Amino acid sequence: MSKVVVVKHFGDQRNRPLTQSEYEVLLTTALRTLSGQSDFAAAVRRYLPGGTVGMKANCLAHQLNSTPLALADAFTAILVKTGFKEKDVVVWERSNRELASAGFALNVSGTGRRCVGTDATVVGYSEEFYSSGEVNSLVSRILTEIVDVNVNVPVLKDHSVAGLSAGMKNMYGAVNNPNKYHGNNCDPYCAHVNNLEPIKSKNRLTVIDAVRVQYNGGPGYSEDYLAYYNGLVISDDPVAADRVGLEILEHLRAINGQPTLERTGRPVRYLASAERLGLGIADIKKIELRVIMIDKNGRESAGELLE
Amino acid sequence: MKRRTFMSCLGCGAAATVATQTGLFPPVINSLQNAFALGEPSELSSMEARHYKKLPGGGIECGICPRHCQVTDLERGYCGSRENQGDIYRTLVYGKPCSLNIDPIEKKPFFHFYPGTQALSLATAGCNVNCKFCQNWEISQSRPEQTENIDLSPQAVVDLAVQRKTPNIAYTYSEPTIFYEYMYDIAEAGHKHGLRSVMVTGGYIEQEPLRLLIPHLDAIKVDLKSIREDYYKTIVNGELKPVLDRLVQMKSSGIWLEIVTLVVPTLNDTDAEFRDLARWVKTNLGADVPLHFSQFYPQYLLKNLPPTPQVTLEKAYAIAHSEGMQYVYLGNLPGHPAESTHCPKCNAMLIERNGYRITQMNLVGNHCPKCQSEIPGRF
Repeated sequence: MSKVVVVKHFGDQRNRPLTQSEYEVLLTTALRTLSGQSDFAAAVRRYLPGGTVGMKANCLAHQLNSTPLALADAFTAILVKTGFKEKDVVVWERSNRELASAGFALNVSGTGRRCVGTDATVVGYSEEFYSSGEVNSLVSRILTEIVDVNVNVPVLKDHSVAGLSAGMKNMYGAVNNPNKYHGNNCDPYCAHVNNLEPIKSKNRLTVIDAVRVQYNGGPGYSEDYLAYYNGLVISDDPVAADRVGLEILEHLRAINGQPTLERTGRPVRYLASAERLGLGIADIKKIELRVIMIDKNGRESAGELLE
Repeated sequence: MKRRTFMSCLGCGAAATVATQTGLFPPVINSLQNAFALGEPSELSSMEARHYKKLPGGGIECGICPRHCQVTDLERGYCGSRENQGDIYRTLVYGKPCSLNIDPIEKKPFFHFYPGTQALSLATAGCNVNCKFCQNWEISQSRPEQTENIDLSPQAVVDLAVQRKTPNIAYTYSEPTIFYEYMYDIAEAGHKHGLRSVMVTGGYIEQEPLRLLIPHLDAIKVDLKSIREDYYKTIVNGELKPVLDRLVQMKSSGIWLEIVTLVVPTLNDTDAEFRDLARWVKTNLGADVPLHFSQFYPQYLLKNLPPTPQVTLEKAYAIAHSEGMQYVYLGNLPGHPAESTHCPKCNAMLIERNGYRITQMNLVGNHCPKCQSEIPGRF
């Protein structure tokens, strides 16, 4: 049984994005619930025991629909409160340009949180290939050499080929040849990318931003298909996190008059493939789901996943 | 590598490949405290691609190769070198070569096309297949932002070829189909300056782009990687049928054509396969199309296999000959007698080669000096 926590913010984010402090409240609640630890630092350390922590963002859609800076800042603040140094946190993506376009300040100065793309001059990809199934790739040296553990911080969105873009699809940004792995709705390629040794062994948490969801027309930005779910999906099981993300995406599609992904020819089969590889649980019945609402006073109450 | 250094590599013997994904970085990067680390890679091209159509409801369909990638906004095709930007499909590699060198034309290999001449040879990042044996995977399997590229317009390529006195320009190393627009414009400009253009390709290109391109080319070398569809599916990540169709199209157009098959131990090295391949070439293209069998070296994803034994290549040579192919060659075996051209009628030595060097040239025009048989090719 895998556990997934969904934390939802009371407000309607139509007019403004969540702030760093609001994200901190959501993250703190989610991590305590997920870990079962009331002590906050212990909750964090359960998943991130030490060393250098990576945060793999998704900045494909630039500032329009990428991992929010406020979310990365909030997670960084939480890590610092837990005892990590800021310089031991690395926000990363495949390119400097994508990070900058999403509002992140590039930084490799040695002071403060680092932020760098794999295409930066001194980074690049691993010298050795990593393989799983038909996937053979070089992996970002940020993941293989710089960070000890990684937090996957994607946004939840529709994807024109994969159907679902959340945590697992975000790891396409960690390999040198993602364009080779989009056939057959990314199945089983997406599972195998996540089964590459550095990705499988270093990814410890998935934190899916589902505050504003591109429920159709992704992965690029399309203002015609935006919905506001106002939540985060968090798990240490990358497959289960995505599976819950899929429930949310399909729900938002349905209430906005869109057919299921299956009916659009984009069935999300890579989750089942990932389960077969032992990466996590894709069967929603085997996932322990906790949904928590946070009201405007920061009080927690049980919530519904789909409303 | 700065542009000056890059250009100075021309003709120095080593390929001026500037792949940057491996080997060029300091071994220890954990500190990441170097401001230089934020150096921007060179800008990619934003030239609109040719041969694509917009799809109803958004997205585009690429028509440059049989893969027909359907690509939505901000995504790329399988080749990694073409991107949908707001439903305008753009080539990211136009005028952005990552490899540039002067090679003997024999290195392509062309054995019946102006022997002994040089070719200004170039490539960009990307490929529309993913051969497990690729010898140039560092550029062919990279995206253009992962290679170090220089800015070199089509006219600048032509000027460089004129300056270096190379009568040929070769589109090679990766897969020129994916830098179609760049190749097309160089070839067109080159013809105006009397320069010949040769395409070294896997032949996985659509019919119409090829039809439009051929008038600007002078020769094509196709890697016919196998005669088995299953090999194309599992080893090449492509399809055989369109390649065979394009070979027939090329031959019927009248352009000079040579074929190479890389013989990979245990994967495409049976007698039956050599025989089927030779028969297909003879039946569909003719017995006088030069057919090269090349030795495989362990590379990329097939490092577990040994180099092709010489005896296997000699077997391929013998089988192709026995099937009636008139010009069969063995590659990557410097000094082997099967590198040389003999008259199919009287067996006179016409062109003796050692590696890429020509050590004897006995052709008189395009005729055998002994029996006056006409030898096919461009001499």
